[in-house]
Amino acid sequence: MSDTGSTPRTVARFAEGLLAADLPLLADDRRHETVEFIGRRVGVLPSITRFGVLAIGAGVDTAGMIVGHHRVRRVITRLPLPLLAEYPRLVRSLGYAYIWETWPDTDVNGASR
Amino acid sequence: MTRAVHHDCDVLIVGSGAGGATTAAVLAEAGHDVLIVEEGSWVEQGSTVPFSLDQMDKQYRSGGVTVALGLPSIAYTEGRCAGGGTEVNSGLYWRPPEATLELWRTKYQIRDFASSDLLDICAEVESELSVQKVPGEHTDASDILRRGADRLGWRNDEIPRWMTYPEGAGATEGQRQSMTRTYLPRAFASGARILCDHRLDKITRSGRRATGAELTHTVDGESSAVTVAFRDVIVCGGAIQTPAILQRTGLRHRVGRTLAVHPTVKLAARFDDPVNTPEDVSVFQVKQFAPNISFGGSASHPGLVALALTDNWRDFGSAVTAWPELAIYYAAITSEGRGLVQAIPGVRDPLVTYRLTKRDRDLLGQGLARLAMVMLEAGAEEVYPSFKQAPIVRDRADLATMTSMFAASKASVMTVHLCSTAPMGDDERRCATDSHGLVHGTDNVFVNDAALLPEAPGVNPQASVMAIAIRNARRYCDERAG
Repeated sequence: MSDTGSTPRTVARFAEGLLAADLPLLADDRRHETVEFIGRRVGVLPSITRFGVLAIGAGVDTAGMIVGHHRVRRVITRLPLPLLAEYPRLVRSLGYAYIWETWPDTDVNGASR
Repeated sequence: MTRAVHHDCDVLIVGSGAGGATTAAVLAEAGHDVLIVEEGSWVEQGSTVPFSLDQMDKQYRSGGVTVALGLPSIAYTEGRCAGGGTEVNSGLYWRPPEATLELWRTKYQIRDFASSDLLDICAEVESELSVQKVPGEHTDASDILRRGADRLGWRNDEIPRWMTYPEGAGATEGQRQSMTRTYLPRAFASGARILCDHRLDKITRSGRRATGAELTHTVDGESSAVTVAFRDVIVCGGAIQTPAILQRTGLRHRVGRTLAVHPTVKLAARFDDPVNTPEDVSVFQVKQFAPNISFGGSASHPGLVALALTDNWRDFGSAVTAWPELAIYYAAITSEGRGLVQAIPGVRDPLVTYRLTKRDRDLLGQGLARLAMVMLEAGAEEVYPSFKQAPIVRDRADLATMTSMFAASKASVMTVHLCSTAPMGDDERRCATDSHGLVHGTDNVFVNDAALLPEAPGVNPQASVMAIAIRNARRYCDERAG
């Protein structure tokens, strides 16, 4: 994983994995740039939201180290768990918005058309 | 240790948006020594692409990622720049409905609140801001909304905007007449000053009187302390920041307890031909079911199209590659629910929550279904509703399926209209301020922005905000002159 600047490590790890799974052909440098953007936005979230995101991110990351990041990611992206489901939703929203605004010719699998 | 920079003024105005800028102009022209403090920066129009992520970084609070927590949570945006929301919103202008003004007058016991007087002020505002309809061609995304509504026989109107246009020009050629182009220059011409990048931390008080303000000035990540001494302070920070400031000042009576919004749900619609105009929004709104439900168009940058498809990416995602053929629309409702804004000691930003009622949830579902119907009538090939597990809607049979699957808790609900967190009126059981914005229990702390609106007006609220702010500012001048 590349240096993601000021992005909290737990959020960066989750975002990297989620984007890699959703958009497997997105170039590595684009994915890293997108993760950095997500990290910047998480960094300026209002205080309580930011605290919540970082707390959930830490919990998800810890669970991922125990049972596997892929498995945890699959569970929280598929089950409608209150609050927890908002975490991948936030990451996806920020990531997709950034990717298609920055590189509007991106294909649905992340490839550059 | 660096000594704090100090400023003196007659009147400190906190915030430079629709409430603060109009207030500053009226007071400065009446001879008051006005100092405006603005948390955001001065961003020249044209230096950012409208509705882009870059603009959100520079001119929105928290990069545009702010949320009222609830089930569902409601995403909202706040302008944070000189000129506030007028710099970044759609610029659509609606006079407050007379029936709404009359309801507010009686229900909240607002003195001297004749609707005719307010509508006269609206006329002044319209002249100052060059409020007008598009003289030339509309965008395709606008025409879609009109065409669909016309085919259903539903009422729809072109909404004028605060824009100037070259003669006969089309919708995308307008020049926004926001606060940095209108009321703020007027205020400066009469001696008002502005301090941008200054966040108000606290207003100090002695009994009923506010005595000063403590601010933080931030430039390139470096912060320094600033103090201001004033005779009176007028808080115009918007419906979220204003109650938070008042609460941090120890003023809590009816403050931040009645947040009102127009919740919206969205869909993306795909047509045969390119319809996407990334840097503009539809100027038509469908008002057949107003005030309960209204339809309009949203910004449709490719990034925002991707965002609209995110809730059901597995089924909808492939549509993102056809973004030039997609546009985004919303259904907005008048909500019976209410929210809370709560400043928490030691925490920089307030906690914002909102609770939709069952009737609100039902209306959101009805609104989304009827909006999808407008899209189909307008010729949409496919409609992508923004809620989890939503089906693609291709015909009326799919509409029934969509309606049966909708639940507000699965939807991406958002709003850009926030108000009513310090409602005005002489009924102290309901209101945080008197009939002209003076905070109950104080002698010199005023509110003059969207927080004063007793309820969400059911239309774009900034005309209401400006008219009421000018009314109150004139009253202030009359009283201080006396």
